Amino acid sequence: MNKTEVEICNELDEKTYKTVLKNGLEVYICKKKDFKKKIGMFGTKYGSVINEFENIENNEKIKVPDGIAHFLEHKLFEQEGANALDLFSKLGISSNAYTTFDHTVYYFETIDKFNQGLELLIKLVKTPYFTDKNVAKEQGIIAQEIKMYDDDPSFSVYFNTLKAMYSKNPVRIDIAGTVESISHITKEYLYTCYNTFYSPQNMFIVIIGDVDIDKTIEIIEENLRIYEKDYDNKKEIKDVKKFFEEEPKEVTQKEITQKMDIYMPQLCIGYKLDVVKNKEIIKRSIICDIISDLYFSRITPFFEKEYNKGVLSDVVDFDYEGSASFSHVIISAYSTNIEELKKDLAAYLKEIKTKEIDNEMFELVKKKKIGETIKKADNLNVCYRRIIESSLNNYDVYEDVNILNNISKEDIKEFLSLLDEEKQVFSILTQK
Amino acid sequence: MINIYKINKEKFKSIYISVNFTMNVNREENSANALLASVLAKSSSKYNSQKEIEKYMASKYGASFDVNVEKYGDLYNIEFLVEGVNKEFLPNKEDITQDLISFLYDIIYNPNIKDGSFDETLVEREKEVILDKIRTKKDDKLRYGVLKMEEIMCQDEGFGMYVYGDEEIIQGITAKKLYDHYNKVINNSYITVIVSGNLKGYDGIEDVIRNKFETKNNSIPYSDLVYNSHKGTEQKKIKETFEESDTSQSVLSMGIRIKNSKIDDFYTLNLYNAILGATPSSKLFQNFREKESLAYTVRSRYYRFKDMIIIFAGIEKENYEKAKKVITKQITDIEEGNISDEEFNAAKESIIADLKEWDDSKIALSKMKISNILINNEKDVSVEDMIEKIKKVSKQDVIQISKNLEVEEIFLLGGGENE
Repeated sequence: MNKTEVEICNELDEKTYKTVLKNGLEVYICKKKDFKKKIGMFGTKYGSVINEFENIENNEKIKVPDGIAHFLEHKLFEQEGANALDLFSKLGISSNAYTTFDHTVYYFETIDKFNQGLELLIKLVKTPYFTDKNVAKEQGIIAQEIKMYDDDPSFSVYFNTLKAMYSKNPVRIDIAGTVESISHITKEYLYTCYNTFYSPQNMFIVIIGDVDIDKTIEIIEENLRIYEKDYDNKKEIKDVKKFFEEEPKEVTQKEITQKMDIYMPQLCIGYKLDVVKNKEIIKRSIICDIISDLYFSRITPFFEKEYNKGVLSDVVDFDYEGSASFSHVIISAYSTNIEELKKDLAAYLKEIKTKEIDNEMFELVKKKKIGETIKKADNLNVCYRRIIESSLNNYDVYEDVNILNNISKEDIKEFLSLLDEEKQVFSILTQK
Repeated sequence: MINIYKINKEKFKSIYISVNFTMNVNREENSANALLASVLAKSSSKYNSQKEIEKYMASKYGASFDVNVEKYGDLYNIEFLVEGVNKEFLPNKEDITQDLISFLYDIIYNPNIKDGSFDETLVEREKEVILDKIRTKKDDKLRYGVLKMEEIMCQDEGFGMYVYGDEEIIQGITAKKLYDHYNKVINNSYITVIVSGNLKGYDGIEDVIRNKFETKNNSIPYSDLVYNSHKGTEQKKIKETFEESDTSQSVLSMGIRIKNSKIDDFYTLNLYNAILGATPSSKLFQNFREKESLAYTVRSRYYRFKDMIIIFAGIEKENYEKAKKVITKQITDIEEGNISDEEFNAAKESIIADLKEWDDSKIALSKMKISNILINNEKDVSVEDMIEKIKKVSKQDVIQISKNLEVEEIFLLGGGENE
C-alpha cells in the first residue's frame, strides 16, 4: 500500500486526492461518482516554448528545433511502428495527446478497461522508440497538420498577434513548428528532449472518474517499477535549467495584417504584460473571465450597441494567457466591418479603465459565476483542466473558487490599469 | 398530445430541458426556419431584448438558453433549450427550474409581435446574422468539403439544403412574412420535450411541463414526417466535381450511397463505417494516414437518416489521384472480406464504448433519445438494446452489406501550389 501522504481537496460533494510518489511524480485522482467514463492522463511540464535548456545527458546548453515538443508527442505515442491511438483503439479505448506552450499530455478515455488503459499509457510514455525511418514518416504527417492550421483563419489571426507582441520568446512560433524547422528534427534530438523533460519530477498523472483510489495508486506504482529500475531508491530532485532569451518589454510591431481566402474578417488585440508566477497566473485568468462578463458579454450596453449597429454578431473574447516566461491578454472578435470594430474596441478599452464599476452588474456577474462553476462539475473535461492548471502553477486544486469569491472591484480596476496602449498590438485578417 | 421524455441521472448537478419542433421543409421554409430561430432567441413579449434575456439568465445563476437549428435527415429541427442547476446545489436551495420552464414557454409562444408582425428592425438585423453564417460557410475548408458533398448527394432533398438556408431567400423575407411562417411552424410541427439531468426533488416536472405546454395541444402526428426522401437513380459512373480555393491544403470528399437498407441495418452499417474510417484502428487511418502519410485528417462519417457515408481528408493537391486509389482500395478490401479479427473487434469495442459514454452527457442522452424516436417510429430504444444488437453483428454481415454500397461522387476543393 502507498505510504505517501494523501491530501484531500473538497468541493461540492467531490474529492480530489493528491499524492507525490517516491520518484517525485505527482498523482491526482478526482473521484466522479457514478460517471461511466474514466480518464487517465500522463503529462509533462514541457511544451513548445522550451527550446533551449541544459541537456541532462551531458550538462551542456543545447538549442533544439522549433516544434520538437509537439513532434515528440507524436512520436512517443507510437510503439515499434504501431500508432498508440490504434493500440488503445484495439482495446476499445479512445486516446489522444496534445501539446501546448508549457505542457504536453497523453490521455485515454474508457468505460470498463481502466486498468488496461492505465498500464498501456504508462508503458507508452515510459518507452520511447525513435528511428530515422519513423522520424521521416512523421515529418510528412505533421507537415499536413501545419498546413491545415495555416488555412485556419482564427489560428492565423491569433498567432499573428503573438508574433506582433514577442520578438524572442518562442511563444511567437506555431506549437507544431514550421515545415522547415521540423525538417531538422532527428532521433538524437528527440532522445535528448525526452531524457531531459520526461523524468518523473517533471511530470504528473491525473485520473478522473469513479475509480478505486488505493488500487489506482497501486497500479501506477507497479507499472512505474517495470520501467524505472531505481523506483524505490531515494533520488535527488533536480530542476531542469531552461534558458529564455531576454524578451524586451516593448512589442515588436503595433499592427499586423494578413489576407486569406475567407469571407469573415477577424481581429485580435493583444496586450503584452509583465510576467507573473504561480497563483498570480490563475488570479489574472479569473479576473479576465469576470472582465469578459462585466464588459463584453450580452448583458452589457457595449455589446447591445455594437450588435444593433451590425458591427458585432457574437461576443468579444477576452482571454488571459500566462506561464513562467510570458504573460498577455488577447481580445478577439470578428466582424464584416472590421475597421469600425477596431475603432470602437480601442475607444471602449480606454473608457473602461476610467469608468466606475456598476455594483449591480458586478453582483450579477458573481451570481452567474456561482452557477457556472457548479455546472462545470458535469463535464469531466473541465475537471481535468482545473487540476492540470493547478499543478502547472503550484496551487491547491480547488483554490480557484476561493480566488474567484475574493475578487473585488478594485482587483478588476487594477488589472485594467495594466492594459497599456504602448504594449497594445492589433492583428487583422481580411479577405483576399 | 405532446411527447415528454424524462432522463434522470443523479450524478449530474443541472437539468437540461429541450423542446423540439420537427418538420419537413421546402427550400423557402428551410431558410425561414433559420431566421425564425434567430429572431425568437432575441426577444419575447416579456424580455424584449437580448440584453434583458441574458440578464435574466445570469440572475438565475448563469442558466443557459439557446435556440439551435439542425437536421435529422430531411427533417428540420428547431430546438429551444435551457439548462439550470438543480436546487439541491444552489444557495438557500433556490428553485430556478420552474422559472426556466415558464421562460422557455414565453420564448416559444409569446413572441414580441405587433400588428401581426415581428419587429422589423430586429428581423433585418437577424437577416444579416444569418447571411453572414451562409457567407462564412467556406471559411472552414474541411467542414465545407463535407457540406458540399452533402449538397451534391442530396440535391432537392431537405438534407441537401444548408441549415442556415439560401442568401436570396433570406433577403426576401419580411417581418410580416416571418410571422406567418412562425404560425405555420408552431401549428405544424412534431413536438418532443426532453428533460435530462439530475431530477432529484423534481418528481412532478413532467406535469409542470404538460400543464404549461399542452394548452397549445398542437403536435402533428409522427406519420407526417419523412426523413429520407431520396429516390435511387441508376448512376454507373462516379462523378467528379472541382472547386477553386486559394489555400495551402486541398480537401477531398467522397460520397457513398447505401442501397436497399432496412432500419436495423443501422448496427451493421455503423460497424462498417468504424472499420472503414471512424476510428484510429480503421483502414483509412491505418493506411491513408499512417502508412502512406497522405493526410493528418482522414475520416468517414455515417449518416443514419440518409443512408450514406462521406469520407473526407485534407491532402496535397498533387496527391489527388493517389488518394482516390488508396481510398478505393480500402473500400474494395472490405468488400472482398479482407477484415482482420483485430480490426473487426476494435471497431465493435469502439462503438460500444461510445454508446456507453452517452450516459455521461445530458446533451448526448437527449440527442440520442430524439434521434431514436424519429427514426424508429416513435419507439424509444434503450442503450442496452443497442449494445446487444451491435454485439450480434458478424463479420459476414459487414461484408454482405458492403455490397450494397456504391461510391457516387467525389469532390475536390482546390488549394496547393499553382499549376
